[in-house]
Amino acid sequence: MPTIPSPLPGVFYRRPAPDQDPYVNEGDQVTEGQTIGLIEVMKNFSELKATAGGTVKEFLVEDESDVSVGQDVAVLE
Amino acid sequence: MSAQVRVVSGGLSTTVQDLGRTGRYAIGMPPSGAMDQYSFRVANLLVGNPEGAAALEATYIGPSLEFTDDRLVAVTGGDAAVTLNGEPIPMWSSTQVRSGDVLAFGMITSGARPYIAVSGGIAVPEYLGSRSTYTLIGLGGHEGRTLADGDVLPLGDGSTGEAGAVVPDELVPQFPSDIDVRAVVGLCSYRLTEAALESFLSTPWRITKDADRVGYRLRGGTLDFVEREQPFGAGSDPANVVDLGYPLGSIQVPGGDEPIVLLGDAVTGGGYVTIATVISVDRDLFGQAKTGDTIRFRDVGIDEALAARADRNRRLDRIRSALA
Amino acid sequence: MSQPVQLPPARYEHGGDEFIFVEIAEEMSMEANIKATLITQELESRQMSGLVDICPSNASYLVRFDPDVIPPADLMALLKDLEGRFQEVPEGFTLQTRVVDVPVLYNDPWTHEAMMRFRDRHQDPESTDLEYGARTNGFDSVEAFIEHLAGNPWIVTMLGFVPGLPFCYQLEPRERQVQVPKYVRPRTFTPERAFGIGGAFSVVYPVQGAGGYQLYGMSATPVLNVRQDHPDFAHSIVFPGAGDILRYRSVDRTEFDDTRREVEAGTFRYRQHDVEFSPAAFLDDPQGVNDRLLEVLYR
Repeated sequence: MPTIPSPLPGVFYRRPAPDQDPYVNEGDQVTEGQTIGLIEVMKNFSELKATAGGTVKEFLVEDESDVSVGQDVAVLE
Repeated sequence: MSAQVRVVSGGLSTTVQDLGRTGRYAIGMPPSGAMDQYSFRVANLLVGNPEGAAALEATYIGPSLEFTDDRLVAVTGGDAAVTLNGEPIPMWSSTQVRSGDVLAFGMITSGARPYIAVSGGIAVPEYLGSRSTYTLIGLGGHEGRTLADGDVLPLGDGSTGEAGAVVPDELVPQFPSDIDVRAVVGLCSYRLTEAALESFLSTPWRITKDADRVGYRLRGGTLDFVEREQPFGAGSDPANVVDLGYPLGSIQVPGGDEPIVLLGDAVTGGGYVTIATVISVDRDLFGQAKTGDTIRFRDVGIDEALAARADRNRRLDRIRSALA
Repeated sequence: MSQPVQLPPARYEHGGDEFIFVEIAEEMSMEANIKATLITQELESRQMSGLVDICPSNASYLVRFDPDVIPPADLMALLKDLEGRFQEVPEGFTLQTRVVDVPVLYNDPWTHEAMMRFRDRHQDPESTDLEYGARTNGFDSVEAFIEHLAGNPWIVTMLGFVPGLPFCYQLEPRERQVQVPKYVRPRTFTPERAFGIGGAFSVVYPVQGAGGYQLYGMSATPVLNVRQDHPDFAHSIVFPGAGDILRYRSVDRTEFDDTRREVEAGTFRYRQHDVEFSPAAFLDDPQGVNDRLLEVLYR
């Protein structure tokens, strides 16, 4: 199954801002290039984008937790 | 049209750097310059540039660059899949590029900062004697900032040396994510309790997301201060001292729970307790250290710091002769 | 007349292989700053090759050098020798300097907004920085506190943190000097030209950025000019220099806005006057010397 790895180390956020809804939820359809979260490092927030289209089966990294380079953040099916 | 390189995409945080803008610490100007000076120098040597020629420093996500004439390029530093027109090219070696060729980066696999040297060097104007970018103030480099998609960078006159120069394997540094750093304990270390100083040296410190060219903020333990009546002028917090100069590589502990290691774009002074200084050679390790990596500090004396410096000079000499 | 300060022997520390840090004293005093000034001026005059940076600080100094050119032990020995030569401030020592008027809007909306964003990093989240400073220093009101900060001038005893930031020590007898702690954890944001205090020092932040000082106001005028397109910056990108005497005069919003317009138009010139400052005379009669400095500045 395709996965979405983080190209960056940092902190993963599922929401654009604390008071907003998550970009996507488990079970949602995504298209390639769609933003599924943010990675914060060095005071930058970079959008994490789906590397393929499909259904988001599962998030492997919890909201607001650390992520390392290359770590899979979500699984698609 | 004069020679240039086009920035197709800027990457996460790519800047023009050289060996630094030294000699202005007294007005509060840090040197900036390449964070990993060894990898930086080697990149220039590979393309036949003077070691201090301006080159690009990428962070985590490299840029993609389009060339407009014949050049030699070399990529050193943090490991990533580097491609030219989609075909993989080796790092730590020189590659010929032609007009229209596009150099691009895949995901970083170890280290943090790839260096990209182009024969002739990046010919942005010098500011106070250096082409290094200092983004905190917005000076030097290309418009004082990180590269953005669509930027165009001027190139200097390039020697058209031979492609295919390679750095011998044993002189290519490794960038593990568990890092041992040598530091000289001192400065205001008397402010820490003995137990805190021991704990500083035995704690595996984790690099937080607040780790950039100014400094790396670490987490992993709490360091207690010796109780005292604060000296006049310092301020009443136990982590406060009368504001003083911070050496490059110095480690300060505001609050006692988040040591900060100051690097190339360092703040040059302030009023937080400093407890040790990373030796000059090992500042390079921070250039390739990532958020999430683990740091352990080892206390060394000045002689060991000088020996490390001499060793690094010998390794550079070997590369200089191998590539001459 | 205040008691003269007896300085302890200086403390010498290696800052890795490229720096030596010399702490003249743990506590701030005019005497410690002058000793650091005298030693670093002497070092500067020798123009030694391999000496990269000579940075006098409040009660200490820092040098950066190339250990491939000067062995650290040799430099250490030289610095200790210099300390011996400047045990005493020479009789009749004076600083050739200038006194400068810096218009400040105290209790301004911008630093107020910034400060309120970081209450969780402050000693007293329930107060504003000004209220906290006024209360802990024994002033009846924020207004009285501001009047004190804006009254007597300050002397620049260190530059650093970022380019052009002047650390200033108020020309007051010790018992009248205010002191406040730095933030428990530094802020990640401070507006450009914010005026603040930490320990016994005031600063003007040259650019927006991180900072740990208590925030009290906003200078109308810059201390850093990277493009050097203001007349007062023709010779250097930074305006303040060590030994400068700055008066952080309290101005109202109208004067602040007018001054900002002049700065934006590039027509602003600092009001300044050359003066000779005698630390001994100051320590002998602080208010008399201050009155004369201000008289010269505004005559």
